[in-house]
Amino acid sequence: MNVSQEDAHEALSAVKNVMVQTRKAIASSYASDLLIMWGLLWIGAFIASHFYLAYAFYIFISMSVVGGLGTAVIYQVFRSKASLNDTSFQKVGWRMFLFWIFLFGYLIIWLCLLAPFSGLQCNAFICTAIMFAYIVIGLWFGSYFMVLLGLAVTAATLVGFYLLTPYYCLWMASMGGGALLGTGLYIRLRWR
Amino acid sequence: MAKLDSIIHQPVRLRIMSSLMVLDQDEQVNFIYLRDLLKLTDGNLGAHLTKLEEAGYIKIEKTFVARKPRTFISATGKGRDAFEGHVTALKEIIDSEKVK
Repeated sequence: MNVSQEDAHEALSAVKNVMVQTRKAIASSYASDLLIMWGLLWIGAFIASHFYLAYAFYIFISMSVVGGLGTAVIYQVFRSKASLNDTSFQKVGWRMFLFWIFLFGYLIIWLCLLAPFSGLQCNAFICTAIMFAYIVIGLWFGSYFMVLLGLAVTAATLVGFYLLTPYYCLWMASMGGGALLGTGLYIRLRWR
Repeated sequence: MAKLDSIIHQPVRLRIMSSLMVLDQDEQVNFIYLRDLLKLTDGNLGAHLTKLEEAGYIKIEKTFVARKPRTFISATGKGRDAFEGHVTALKEIIDSEKVK
């Protein structure tokens, strides 16, 4: 089989274009919805924590439950449109669900064991613990986006906690929630 | 030296394989989704999928989602290897010009 260099260039360029197009199509179909939902939840939870810091624990547990249910609904809607059939997700779906249930159970145990906590410490502890879970899941499933997101939000949490203490929650609302919301909106508006 | 693959090199099949390669090993894409993404007709996509399936490069699975029939497509290990070999061969053709 003979292929000229011009044909080879053309074929490689087609490969690259289709791969980029497919990635964007998949990301804009449900990843953007997930990012927007989590971004709004984070912003809401952090702003609420800024005003009611003593209730930060309950605010974040509630946010996580709502977010978890929302994630399941968005994924189910996406699947019912039957764009992608992710058998690996189906295999690990229940285990993943149980992982988060156990994580939140253990978070409650640790918070009880380590009490008394200030609202700020409680908030930062939950954030970093959840981000640690993101990193572990990202490494396990080869999702570098999750690893990077986990590391970036952990870094933002530490900066806010130690350097911007009075504005910690507002900082986290803009850096954590804003970044998620901004990424989701960017994907939705620019990639479709 | 990597080998060009005449089945994959056909432009439509190259685009189909490129799209499937983006998915994870366990992921399948719906026929309609792939058709719309690549802007192909049902007949055109179906014919090229059959060729790729005959070569063992893709797996076609017919199933029901919410009681509606769906056709899901995924690249096989053999297909992934063939695609990677083909892309490497294309790169080698381009690199050989640079050497000259």
